[in-house]
Amino acid sequence: MLLFEKRETVSTKLKAAIPLVSVFLGLVTGAIAILFTRTNPIIVYQALVKGAFGSVYTFSETLVAAIPLILISAGLIVAFRMNFWNIGAYGQYIIGAIFGSFFALNMPATMSRPLLLTIICLAGFLGGALWGLIPAALKAFWEVNEVITTLLLNYVALYILKYLMYGPWRNPESHGFPLSKPFELNAQLPRLLPRTRIHFGIILGIIAVIIVYIIIKKTKFGYEIRVIGENKRAARYAGINITKNIFIAMAISGGLAGLAGLAQLSGVIHMLQIEINPGYGYTAIVVAWLASLNPIIAMLISVAFGGLEAGGYQIQMAIRVPFGIVGTIESAVLFFLLGGEILKKYRIKLRRNIL
Amino acid sequence: MDEIIVQAKGITKYFPGVLANNHIDFELKKGEIHTLLGENGAGKSTLMNILDGIYHPDEGEIYIKGKKVHIQNPFDAMANSIGMIHQHFMLVDTLTVLENVALGLKSQGLYIDKKEISKQIETISKKYHFNINPYSKIWQLSVGEQQRVEIIKTLFRKAEILILDEPTAVLTPQESEDLFKILNQLLKEGKSIIFISHKLDEVMEISDRITVLRKGKVVGTVHKKDVTKGYLAKMMVGREVLFSLERKPLKRRGEVLKVKELEAYNDKGFKALKKISFSVFGGEIFGIAGISGNGQKILAQTITGLRRATRGKTILNDADITNASPKVIANKGVNYIPPDRLKVGLIPNLDTTENAILRSYDREPITKRNFIDHQKAAEYAKSLIRKFNIMVPRIDAPVKLLSGGNMQKLLLAREIAERPKLLIAVHPTRGLDVGATEFIRKQLLKERDNGLAVLLISEDLDEILMVSDRIGVIYEGQIMKVINIEDAERNKIGLLMAGVNSPKN
Repeated sequence: MLLFEKRETVSTKLKAAIPLVSVFLGLVTGAIAILFTRTNPIIVYQALVKGAFGSVYTFSETLVAAIPLILISAGLIVAFRMNFWNIGAYGQYIIGAIFGSFFALNMPATMSRPLLLTIICLAGFLGGALWGLIPAALKAFWEVNEVITTLLLNYVALYILKYLMYGPWRNPESHGFPLSKPFELNAQLPRLLPRTRIHFGIILGIIAVIIVYIIIKKTKFGYEIRVIGENKRAARYAGINITKNIFIAMAISGGLAGLAGLAQLSGVIHMLQIEINPGYGYTAIVVAWLASLNPIIAMLISVAFGGLEAGGYQIQMAIRVPFGIVGTIESAVLFFLLGGEILKKYRIKLRRNIL
Repeated sequence: MDEIIVQAKGITKYFPGVLANNHIDFELKKGEIHTLLGENGAGKSTLMNILDGIYHPDEGEIYIKGKKVHIQNPFDAMANSIGMIHQHFMLVDTLTVLENVALGLKSQGLYIDKKEISKQIETISKKYHFNINPYSKIWQLSVGEQQRVEIIKTLFRKAEILILDEPTAVLTPQESEDLFKILNQLLKEGKSIIFISHKLDEVMEISDRITVLRKGKVVGTVHKKDVTKGYLAKMMVGREVLFSLERKPLKRRGEVLKVKELEAYNDKGFKALKKISFSVFGGEIFGIAGISGNGQKILAQTITGLRRATRGKTILNDADITNASPKVIANKGVNYIPPDRLKVGLIPNLDTTENAILRSYDREPITKRNFIDHQKAAEYAKSLIRKFNIMVPRIDAPVKLLSGGNMQKLLLAREIAERPKLLIAVHPTRGLDVGATEFIRKQLLKERDNGLAVLLISEDLDEILMVSDRIGVIYEGQIMKVINIEDAERNKIGLLMAGVNSPKN
């Protein structure tokens, strides 16, 4: 019989063991799904790992997919630590991309590259931050539930993007496709390694992670948002300015999502279009959560998720299993990871019925 | 009568870093009320949670009616006719009494026989004069009634052994009396009761036998008729306990706080303070006595800036602090021990250090140019821990793991360390055991002797009478009368608390 007993504290060993075992069980479950496609799961997993980490090129693709996740999850961690449920990284990502694109598309091609890149990065950050400040203001002044506002603003952002792409920003030479003019070279983030798509965004990501880490661990602001997140009434009692902190946290959170959107355009896609992968905004929520809101761990998890994505493309091509299989594996792993959380709260004992 | 119905032998339970139960022997005879007495953290609740199957013992055996049992979960406990009534009720607020009783009943499948259950509830209710309508929603009931629903739940499941975990902590004196009547009637019906408490008066009133626990060990089991309150207190705390405190003569200084015709509204939009006026002087404790809900909480919130005053003034040392922000007011020297330490005063999931610096985190030496020096913060926390002798499992353990007394000590230590001019303490000893209560009261007196102005708001009249120099009786948001302690008579204050007497003119 299974017995559940409450536990008050969790040892570090267990904290590390739970996710490892969860991932393993998730992979086993994924293997069962793979069997249904009449393929050998071991071969698929081998190909997946090879496709994600096997060569310089595949690993570079893994990192390319990880960049937006690193940036977004670092920002989300700031908001989540304050118990502000920013589900709107999707929209902030889009608006950041639009703001950055405005300068990328309208500044002269002769402008100095570092200057223009600085401008578009700042604009991307600013766009995401402004989009994040809307739910912040609604929450701070009228106590409107941020889950709903951030989520709904995602659709608003998407339709703004669609309007621009079908309307004023469409490239007249795109034969009717909803694409902007391509970015000139001076609006493209530099690539770091020849023959790969790893771009300067990864450096921005690492800087963001370090800054967020310092902010939450070392600064007064980091302490204040934790107090607000854990106990708002205690925060008020201590005289912490809750409104100000919500604004700052959401500016950082939205800003980094916006920067991620811009970096994806300027580093990978090189034009504005409708499909710019804002779904990273949702994946990053899971990343932040699995990392227990620690930005450094979130960076590592981002790479793992990036690997799943890059490896997924590879197995689709190499073994011809459907891409849906990757989603299935990902979901199975997530399922076990989230289920494993219960072990942090309860001790589970197996006991034979003695009675 | 002497049949032993529950016997626990050598029960031992470890929690990380704590030995909560250390080879505890305990027995309950049929038809008795056996009290488990002990300070917070003595291991009473752990032992009872083991009987109820929520925790499992690391060592030891349990016998029920002479038969060895392994209680795996509350269902097993129920099957062994043990029913536990927790301090925090296990009821679903939005459901009816009937639905709460039916929850988890093994006899019911997909279809719930409401008629039959309702009939049985009414039978139980009538038998014990509970006066509970099975179709009332839980949230519509008073706390005392909710507790009766919990009792119905256990009786419905044919419990023979009832465990009540600090049942009076949430009740008014009148409701407690009613509960005791019910318990006595249950005894007559042949039930056996384990009663957990640290309130000596009620323990002496209701128990047959008393087992005293201290630090996870049994100190002894005694018959009530053989002991006195003082003796029990000594067993429980391990030393003599003073039921009255020594007070130095009053050395009153200048006026520190002046509240002038202050008005404020409560959350429901009703005027909770009605032109309330009084003053507190340095070196005195000004006690505010009153029945719960007469504006005490609102008063403290309004003075500390957590609630807007709609009229009137609060003046601190000649400076107007009306409607200033909480931070400004705190910086001017007003510190505050709120009534609900886990909801307002502390952050349960953060550690001792993070809680200790809640007032001082944004100043040097803890913060320099927006960066927190964690080493300085930890030193600061340790200095508070040393000065107030606070017991913490580890300095980085969340404060929710501290006992109530130690939480309150931490809160008091933090507020006093700010060297305030005025200290507002609301129910500072509520829910604390004898030792911690005495400690907190002594600290308040010590600060008074150092010249601090103390505004003590408490619903415990004994506490007010024990430490105050002057007593203001609050009724419906007004001070009925201010009485010097030498002239204070319990009866007179009781009448004023009930609103008898014209407001002072």
